[in-house]
Amino acid sequence: MIRVEQLSKSYGPARAIDGLAFTVDSGEIVGFLGPNGAGKTTTMRILAGSLAATSGRALVGGVDVFERPRTVKAMVGYLPENPPLYTEMTVRQYLRFAARIKGTAAPDVAVEHTIDRVGLGVVAHRLIAHLSKGFRQRVGLAQALVHSPRVLILDEPSSGLDPEQRKGIRALVKALAVDEVTVILSTHVLPEVEALCDRVIIIHEGRIVAQDSVDALAGSGTAIRVRVARPAAEVADALNAVVGVLEVEPSVDGVYRVSASRDVREAVAAAAVPFGLLELGAQRRLEDVFLRLTGEAS
Amino acid sequence: MSVFHIAARELRAVFTTATGWLVLCGWLLITGLFWVVMVQNYAMQSRDLVFNPYAAASLGFTDFLIAPFFGNCAVVLLMLTPAVTMRLFSEEFKQGTMELLLTSPISTLQIVLGKYLGALGFVLVLLALTLHFPLGLARWGRPDWGVVASGYLGLALLSSAVLALGLWFSSLTSNQLVALVLTFTTALGLLVLGWSSQDPADWIAQISIMSHLNDLFIGVVRLSDVVYCVAFTAFFLFATHQRMESFRWS
Repeated sequence: MIRVEQLSKSYGPARAIDGLAFTVDSGEIVGFLGPNGAGKTTTMRILAGSLAATSGRALVGGVDVFERPRTVKAMVGYLPENPPLYTEMTVRQYLRFAARIKGTAAPDVAVEHTIDRVGLGVVAHRLIAHLSKGFRQRVGLAQALVHSPRVLILDEPSSGLDPEQRKGIRALVKALAVDEVTVILSTHVLPEVEALCDRVIIIHEGRIVAQDSVDALAGSGTAIRVRVARPAAEVADALNAVVGVLEVEPSVDGVYRVSASRDVREAVAAAAVPFGLLELGAQRRLEDVFLRLTGEAS
Repeated sequence: MSVFHIAARELRAVFTTATGWLVLCGWLLITGLFWVVMVQNYAMQSRDLVFNPYAAASLGFTDFLIAPFFGNCAVVLLMLTPAVTMRLFSEEFKQGTMELLLTSPISTLQIVLGKYLGALGFVLVLLALTLHFPLGLARWGRPDWGVVASGYLGLALLSSAVLALGLWFSSLTSNQLVALVLTFTTALGLLVLGWSSQDPADWIAQISIMSHLNDLFIGVVRLSDVVYCVAFTAFFLFATHQRMESFRWS
């Protein structure tokens, strides 16, 4: 559905993105991860057609974004980090305007459908200026959805929302994937990526440092967190003696972080029991992977 | 169609902001004051000439009331239109709403024309709200409708030119105040240029907007004057278009 080839963008001498290449299949949910200033927003804006690339190609549904921008824009819904809202309009007026300039066939029907879908019914008649941050974010999402796009690009859709609102946005995005909508979203919230995305693309300083399925990335290098009642020097030795353990890193409060080449939970538990095993759990690794990849590259 | 939707949104936005209503009230107040004062002066002059039928015959509505009124309206328009144009692009940049327009399947030309027509629509509403002044004269005499028509044409052409200029300045900055000041000083500069030379054929006077409008206000429609205003508008609409195109490449 989306194919990006050797995409680069420079702002003067500064390179925002440098030779990006990736593909996204139809109906896939892909997460863009990266520290601030990595080039996520730049990439998304190029795909949405609001920014021209310096070199390289980007195709959406087989159509080149630079050669036929209007065809692509009709297929893409884009929610920038700050939702583009005309605050002096009511929600319904705003969505009607968005539907019309996006060339929707039956704007009024599409607007009512989107209002229902995004759950804006109770505030549809209110001025956007008077809405809470959570509702504004939803209006922004509704704007991106109103013309039934085949591709949805969401730049930090859940930033600044409370956990309940985040859940709402996640449920919406999940529901979209069922309708074969391709979704690219960027986020800082790692659990969100794990909960939502099929695949992750980690960008750092304008380059892709990793792209793989969430499970593959999270599982690379099995990690265990062990907590014992009586921390001592021998604990680390005992854990190190377990076959398959690569590294043991003592932490505070009797916590030890164990990296292993395979699943060693049972053996580690047995080794830790003499020291008063309190807790043992597999650590979700995405955060570690993220920090390691973005740290290594710099 | 998209041009129309953008223009309609602009027009609605003007009427939902305080600026729009302030401009409207200011316009009605100042033009109303002008009219009342001018009618009073005219009445006084005609009374003084009661016993001088030759002089009284030359003291027509059209030359002594309508034409100067248009000249005064032009100056007021020059001051008020920058307040209409300042927000057109600057506010979109500031609020980040430009992103909606840029990622919608519409061309840059449609965006620029939509904004321009929306603002022009508002100014035409302002002009229409002064129609009752010359129309009211019909009760007491026979104003020259040709002069009234060409005067309104002149005001419309002037607003069109200043709106295009203001649209361009607005596309250069996200600060509305900067756009306002730049538009106002440039428009005023173009007005003052006309005073610098007594000879209307002088090139400096030809640059000024006002020297092209004075004849329209007394009922002389010259193609060169109309072309000046239309070309002025077209040039700044083109400049705005180029500016918005370059925005994608920044």
